[in-house]
Amino acid sequence: MKKHSILIICLALIAIAAVLSIVLYDDTHHGEESHFDAKETIFDHLVDHYSWEVPFSHSHKIYLPVIVKEKEGGWHMFMSDKIEQGKTYEGFYIDNDQYKGKIVGTASDGTVYRPIDISITKNVLALFITAFVVCLCIFPLVNWYKKHGNKAPRGFLGALESLTAMIYADMIKPILGEKNGRRFAPYLLTAFYFIFVMNLMGLMVIFPAGANLTGNISITLVLALCTFITVNVFGTKEYWKEIFWPEVPTWLKAPLPIMPFIELFGIFTKPIALMVRLFANMMGGHMIVLVLLSLIFIFKEMGGMLVGGGTTVLSFLFSLFMYLIDTLVSFIQAYVFTMLSTIFISLAQVEGHHKTETKEEQK
Amino acid sequence: MELFTPEAGLIFWMFVVFVALFAILAKFAWPVITRSMDNRADLIDKGVEYAEAAKASLENSENKAREILAEAGRQQMEILQEAAQMKAQIIEEAKKAASAEAKKIIDAAAISIEQSRKEAELQFRQEVSQFALTIAEKLVRKELSDNKAQAEMVEKLLNELEHKN
Repeated sequence: MKKHSILIICLALIAIAAVLSIVLYDDTHHGEESHFDAKETIFDHLVDHYSWEVPFSHSHKIYLPVIVKEKEGGWHMFMSDKIEQGKTYEGFYIDNDQYKGKIVGTASDGTVYRPIDISITKNVLALFITAFVVCLCIFPLVNWYKKHGNKAPRGFLGALESLTAMIYADMIKPILGEKNGRRFAPYLLTAFYFIFVMNLMGLMVIFPAGANLTGNISITLVLALCTFITVNVFGTKEYWKEIFWPEVPTWLKAPLPIMPFIELFGIFTKPIALMVRLFANMMGGHMIVLVLLSLIFIFKEMGGMLVGGGTTVLSFLFSLFMYLIDTLVSFIQAYVFTMLSTIFISLAQVEGHHKTETKEEQK
Repeated sequence: MELFTPEAGLIFWMFVVFVALFAILAKFAWPVITRSMDNRADLIDKGVEYAEAAKASLENSENKAREILAEAGRQQMEILQEAAQMKAQIIEEAKKAASAEAKKIIDAAAISIEQSRKEAELQFRQEVSQFALTIAEKLVRKELSDNKAQAEMVEKLLNELEHKN
């Protein structure tokens, strides 16, 4: 019985893939015969844009506001359709060589420069949407607690609660302790939910999701920076003492400060590790799916309909598999980021730990 | 490589969004949620503790009740035993007392019988001697009124005495 259902699911998936391949094949056939550039396509999907494609259409786009500051002069704000397809507006256009895909301006002496650019790009809009979705998840839970007190929520709220409990009660509190746990939980829980929702939304391919946020180094940089600030601003005296005057043989710290140097270096490597880990994992996941899907088009160009169709079925199944793994990775990476942040914070919350140790030795 | 260079505008917006989200959630959401979770955990812990204590106290009181019952049974047995003993003792004592009393009464009766017998004997003797004297007096008086008869009488008595010897 179980084997049958698995077989049916597999056959259904293959059928979907085959249908898709025909549709895609027809779709690409209509336009003029152009060379498929896999690298271009993949990177195009991974980077930021000034507009957002409407689902299932390449020609219609949602245009977003561009906010740029001229080199000498004021701010400019206009919708991105004005600079679409190589058009120039108020001296600004999307560059194609040095600053590929970014808005550049031409200065009065003719040199090309990058203006200060705080445009609402696709990623920025996705950030707003993500924040909104997080609020949409969390505030019903808050309302539930306010209304029902100690009763446990059911359904979606129940799932959210057990997720929150998994982070708060099973991770933050055991690592940081009761008091510090309550102190740092707001930051850690916000980071977890924000990353988790960003990861999941990055996997849904169409508007309003589908922006590759956590696979963008700017995003993970800010997240790691926030952890860095939290760790070092709230670090205790003991923490700083351990960095600049650790309990090691004196020749290791004076006259040549070897250990302090290593410790100081460690302050910066920790957040960098956080940043790169999240970025590389998410971007890698997106890239593998894109590469697998690109195979369809590469093989189609090489061998026509039959080879393309066969590859479609295989690629579809593989990318589906990768997608499922990416869903898992989305959670794991959000969890790992939160856990490492918690551990880094707890390492900076050492409290007279050497004194108690020496006391115990004396005993 | 564009992928690996951070973008100032995106960093700016990310910072704004993240800090704003953090501020909103830290002010309005997380304290409520974490407090409720802690409270619930406490409540559950306390409930478990309370249930365990209640169970222990129930067991304790059951044991106590059983002990009390056993004690009561034992006491009952003791009381019954004592009562039986006492009964036997009382009966014994009553029997002894009764026999002693009876003996006393019998003895007293015997003595009084003896006494009254002696008295009666004494009285009887006196009465008999009285009677005899009276009779003798009467006889003597009658006999002595007639000299002949007196003489005959003396004769006769003398004969008798002679015959006897």
